[in-house]
Amino acid sequence: MALGGTIRGKKTTLRLPAEADLGTYNRWMADMRVRRAHSVWQEPAMPATWKERFKETAKDKMDVLWSIDAEGGLIGFAAGSFWSVTESGFTLRQFVIDPEEWRKGYGWDAALALHRYLFDYLDLRRSGVEVRADNAAGLRIADRLGYAEYARGHEVHYRDGGYVDEVQFFMLKETWHERWGATEREYGPVAADATR
Amino acid sequence: MFGPRLEGRNGVSLVPSTLEHFKLHGPWSMQPEVGRFWGPRFGELTDENAETRFKEFAGSQTSVNWSIAYQDEPVGFTGIFGIDWVRRDGESAIFIGRHDLFGRGIASEAVRLRTDFAWRELRLHRVHNWIGLANRGSRRANEKSGYKQMGLYRKFWFRSGEWYDEWLGEAYPHTFPDQR
Repeated sequence: MALGGTIRGKKTTLRLPAEADLGTYNRWMADMRVRRAHSVWQEPAMPATWKERFKETAKDKMDVLWSIDAEGGLIGFAAGSFWSVTESGFTLRQFVIDPEEWRKGYGWDAALALHRYLFDYLDLRRSGVEVRADNAAGLRIADRLGYAEYARGHEVHYRDGGYVDEVQFFMLKETWHERWGATEREYGPVAADATR
Repeated sequence: MFGPRLEGRNGVSLVPSTLEHFKLHGPWSMQPEVGRFWGPRFGELTDENAETRFKEFAGSQTSVNWSIAYQDEPVGFTGIFGIDWVRRDGESAIFIGRHDLFGRGIASEAVRLRTDFAWRELRLHRVHNWIGLANRGSRRANEKSGYKQMGLYRKFWFRSGEWYDEWLGEAYPHTFPDQR
């Protein structure tokens, strides 16, 4: 998994992860509220194990990890995979916001910024995400961004003594540009005299 | 890990893979007939890479893999990978490398053996997969063993001037036909 660079939202910033973030990652992975909402990215572990994971993460070429900041502090992380050298796409695999920071709009803001990067900057053809059917906040963000459901796995995730379904979504570049292209741009237009 | 030897019907069996089997995968996957629903028909096709993949498959604790044998000759691979032992869910796949043997029911029997093993021996709760909608042979092979459509990813890839959709299936112990 590679380490992702800076992507600025209005309230949040996705940024290069650092070793100093790992203790907080560990705390989130041990938080049952996070584990109920998401698949676990990595199980809680000793600091040395997290450092090893971090080193391995930095080496990968197709997977990317970002830490998410808001108001000067770490409030989450995002991780996903680019598809391949011949297929232009990205799957968002983890999107964790600190439960103490829920309901402040940080998730929406960071998700919008990340997708702007995927479509407006990288010019990918599509993106995908899988959300547990009872993760109301995740479903709302996916819908608002423009994701469309294409599949529903039944009894996929097990937690709290029972199974929950999984909803699978995709979004095309055309949908992004139709919905967000006019307002969400990584950069302003190139100045008329910039290429002279 | 590799699965145990499973004897099927009509000369089909699932057998633990060997390094020699793994060395066949590269040349098989480079054939246009095989690559229509796979991709991208290039890759690191060295014996060293085959050995590395063989060791990875053998050492995996989250996958069960077999070579498919037809009349005691290796003809492809199948397995269940990405197994989550808490959810008891995994993704299945099948690959028939010998395109001259397409249409003989080898995949159907291999999927039946694999799926039966998932329920009776691994005690899995669910198995799921992705198959090209137009790959009728593979899709029918899975449907015969109880896979049902859970979704359709429209225009998943583009080949020879047309879009191909991807079929998403899932199977449970209660959807498996009793074929003993």
